Amino acid sequence: MVTAEVGPPKGTDIKEMLHHIEVLKGKIDAANVTDNQSAVMRISSLAVCQIVKENGLEPILQMTCRDRNRIGLQADLLGASVLGIESVLCMTGDHVSAGDHKAAKPVYDIESVQLLQVVDGMNNGKDMSGNDLQGSTNFFQGAVVTPEANPLQPQLIKFGKKVEAGARFFQTQAIYDIDKFKTFMEHARQYSTKVLAGIVVLKSAGMAKFLNNFVPGITVPDELIEELKAAGKEKALETGLNIAARHVKQLHDEKICDGVHIMAIGMEDKVPTIMERAGLL
Amino acid sequence: MIISKKIDRKKLLETIKDYNSFFLVGCSECASLCGTGGEPELEELKKELEAAGKKVTGTFRAKTGCQVLGTKVELKPFKDELADTQVVIVMSCGAGTQAMVEAFPDKPVYPSNDSLFLGNMTRFQMFDERCSLCGECILEQTGGICPVTNCPKGLLNGPCGGTSNGNCEVSPDIRCAWVRIYDRLEKINRLDDMKKVIKAKDWSKSQSPQVLSARPKKEGKKTK
Ligand code: SF4
Ligand code: SF4
Repeated sequence: MVTAEVGPPKGTDIKEMLHHIEVLKGKIDAANVTDNQSAVMRISSLAVCQIVKENGLEPILQMTCRDRNRIGLQADLLGASVLGIESVLCMTGDHVSAGDHKAAKPVYDIESVQLLQVVDGMNNGKDMSGNDLQGSTNFFQGAVVTPEANPLQPQLIKFGKKVEAGARFFQTQAIYDIDKFKTFMEHARQYSTKVLAGIVVLKSAGMAKFLNNFVPGITVPDELIEELKAAGKEKALETGLNIAARHVKQLHDEKICDGVHIMAIGMEDKVPTIMERAGLL
Repeated sequence: MIISKKIDRKKLLETIKDYNSFFLVGCSECASLCGTGGEPELEELKKELEAAGKKVTGTFRAKTGCQVLGTKVELKPFKDELADTQVVIVMSCGAGTQAMVEAFPDKPVYPSNDSLFLGNMTRFQMFDERCSLCGECILEQTGGICPVTNCPKGLLNGPCGGTSNGNCEVSPDIRCAWVRIYDRLEKINRLDDMKKVIKAKDWSKSQSPQVLSARPKKEGKKTK
């Protein structure tokens, strides 16, 4: 199983986004539609999910708890359901201080684990207050996990709670050390939930160092940084794509997890390249 | 205690610029400990007002400024000073200021402080927020550390993915609340507490404005 991302733009010009959808169509199983990613205001995830669907690609609705209270979240879940959106990814969401509306009031009426409970309830015909729904939802609901969180134990406890709350699949934060990831998967395999490993393409040695220094929960091993350096500036991106493809191939061939989630961050064009090089297309 | 901070003095002087005579009210409780409404601060503001050409008719430090009836009684000896006063400036929290609004129905009452949070003094005049008064305490489930207050996202079921070496992604100079909770539960041998899903909070329990009567109910008097 391969998923990727479609990032809604800030503004009404969706030409580039439509192009990304076109490139991904027929190649991947589904595309996450991000929800005001990094707390930066953009087109709503729900609206873009509908566009993704109309254009022949399966959407996964990302839902964060930052911008809506429980009434808003449930209303949008019902809306997504009648639009035929089948998968939802439940997250708490980055804090408003990370985004471009820092003076906004963050909502966090509920959080990721509780949102999973809400989806489970709605799949069983009940809203959060226990009222009967006139027609229940039928979502395939998932969540996120950071396999290299530091410290790891509290994150693993939360992973277990998310499964208990109804998460049927997980997409992970970017991973670069397959052996470490195998250890995480040994833990994850005690639950019957699907895990898609997060893949983020390294564009340069500089980007790898930036991830190590500034993005919590991501560690790029030194060997990979060396490999990117050795490739030189011009071939760095090619090398990054090869590394991603190599990881995807190993995860697939050794059946380490159930699939991959490729976060191309503006390079959606390259997702099919990675899949081809991994032998998946 | 209620943590307060002095309002920018320029702003205060601008607010009161049309008046000439002032009575200053401090508070012996939180505001004294915060250095915003004790004797030294009353004296300091008095001097600043006088330097600005204003008259200060008197200063007074309430025992507990949010205790409305008691403070009104304490104010009785200041009858003459108050007769000469146009404006009362209150140097405590917002509750103390509003107590004085009740005591002086016919005078403008202005605050000299911003009220910030409910917290603890960790060192001399260093304060940490500890409780957001959510109305339904869950400390028994979280090792006695409040995630509603200490986690910027108010997460109730464990850390987000942004914990960085045990610190918070939103405020990197503080420890992640959930790492603290995990460490403490481990120490007191209650890690299983963290494995139970904490349900969504009932925010109606903290809906403002709240009232409470803690008086024992009088026998024979039934409320309908
Ligand atoms: S759980 Fe609620 S009442 Fe208890 S410390 Fe936290 S905010 Fe205060
Ligand atoms: S790092 Fe910890 S304290 Fe900070 S937002 Fe995440 S869970 Fe909350």
